[in-house]
Amino acid sequence: MSIIEIKNLTKSYGNARGIVDVNLNVEQGEIFGFIGPNGAGKSTAIRTLLGLIYPTSGSAAIFGKSCIEHPEVRKELGYLPSEVFYYDGMRVMDLLKYSDSFYKKDCTNRIKELAEIMDLDLKKKIDDLSFGNKKKVGIVQGLLHEPKLIILDEPTSGLDPLMQQKFFELIALENKKGATVFFSSHILGEVQKMCSRVAFIKEGKIIKLEKMSTLQENSYKRIRIEAKSGITKETFNLGGVSDFEIKGDSANFIFKGNINSILKKIAEIDLRNISIEEPDLEEIFMHYYAKEG
Amino acid sequence: MNMYLHELKMLRKTTIIWTCAIIAIAALYLSMYSSIANDAAGFKVLLEGYPPQVRAMLGVSIDNITSPLGFYTMVITFVVLCGAIQAMNLGVSLLSKESRERTADFLLVKPVSRVAIVNAKLLAALTMLFATDVLYFAAVSILVRAVAQSGFSGEVFLMINLTLLFIQLIFFALGVFVSMFFNKIRSVLPISLGTVFAFYFLGALVVTDKNDGFRFISPFKYFDTSYIMKNSSYEAPYLIVGAIIVVVAIAASYVIYSRKDIHAVS
Repeated sequence: MSIIEIKNLTKSYGNARGIVDVNLNVEQGEIFGFIGPNGAGKSTAIRTLLGLIYPTSGSAAIFGKSCIEHPEVRKELGYLPSEVFYYDGMRVMDLLKYSDSFYKKDCTNRIKELAEIMDLDLKKKIDDLSFGNKKKVGIVQGLLHEPKLIILDEPTSGLDPLMQQKFFELIALENKKGATVFFSSHILGEVQKMCSRVAFIKEGKIIKLEKMSTLQENSYKRIRIEAKSGITKETFNLGGVSDFEIKGDSANFIFKGNINSILKKIAEIDLRNISIEEPDLEEIFMHYYAKEG
Repeated sequence: MNMYLHELKMLRKTTIIWTCAIIAIAALYLSMYSSIANDAAGFKVLLEGYPPQVRAMLGVSIDNITSPLGFYTMVITFVVLCGAIQAMNLGVSLLSKESRERTADFLLVKPVSRVAIVNAKLLAALTMLFATDVLYFAAVSILVRAVAQSGFSGEVFLMINLTLLFIQLIFFALGVFVSMFFNKIRSVLPISLGTVFAFYFLGALVVTDKNDGFRFISPFKYFDTSYIMKNSSYEAPYLIVGAIIVVVAIAASYVIYSRKDIHAVS
């Protein structure tokens, strides 16, 4: 049985597009990446899965049951929204206790343990917390009942790099204990680190579903070089180069493929400067998936 | 049960403030009673100079304004107005709260059905309305007895005060129903104040003596205090219509809320 099963799911908002005919299966124990630019329909898909919005057609189920007809299946679900908001005037501990009270098991120790890992002060009022700290409350709140399915919607926004690191360790640990993870993001690098499979969504449609191993063979890099003497377009006339631009002695392009082959090419040039970066997702979509999608 | 207790806690402060406010209004009015009762004739002449609409708006009926209960019907008019605002506020904010304060992503992904959420919230709100009315009734019973110079019927007094609860229930239900049609209500007060005052002035324009259908327009006219004083009973058609409004609005809200899309924060 798949933990998440989305079948022919369509959601439209009047005339506006939501998602169109989405099909997805996530198996037990997977860390599944769900990636797409902002506004592609990631949140729509997730919210349908959670039972927050109703599908126009098709179905979305977790643990084999629809959240809409069987709200009790959410007992084993932990959800971390991209932005967290809580009730005014509550202390962190009160909120977590309230959250706990929905699951019929005592999680006080677990709360303390998680708060320690995430470096969160339980006695503070939630109103007084910074955005990053509120996010930490969200993380603890989403994990305190040891859910078997963890759904993360752009979880790292607002967390500093150190906390991101800790957060990913925490998720990896939960995964090792058997939890299935559904991870939505618009940052490819983030997903690449963790996930076993990835689905790409664009303009409401799933345009590609790939195993991570395939994706890793094809890493995407934005490369900028500045040479001492002129560069010609011919030098980089090999597969995987796109968006190629020359300005005087410098060149700028996106490369997809085995990085060794491109580095050998670059090594032939007498360089003054080089930078190799992760391209953002929009760029990858624009230059690779746009044609396929 | 956990949701009910949580909601009670969230509503506690505003309920205490509203309760104190309406008790204070009643106390202020009742403090004027003895001087008015002492100069009954002069006061009646003064009031006769007012146009009937203004008298209706102020809840004044000249015939028995100087008896304790007659005077109290004027007091209850204002108390009911405040109570209606409180109830409508409560109704509008109750189910829209999660969207307004963006806590929907917390509460609505818990393993509870939408119906269970509505149950808990309605129950908590009703508890608070009952608490307000019971406290108010206790306070005002003491106050009226303290200022009254002649005896009055405790039964009629209770019946007059129950109109507060009835009208609150109607406006509460209307508020819940109205809130269903907004995806996100930024501010509750303009909606509730606007609706309550609209009905209030509409009610004042309808001349109370006539029993034509116009009285059905405004819930404020469903419970005519002079009729209650004369007959020691409510007017059945209006009581029934009031009950129908409450039941239909609440039932519709259950249906709509169970099928409502809860959108992401924006």
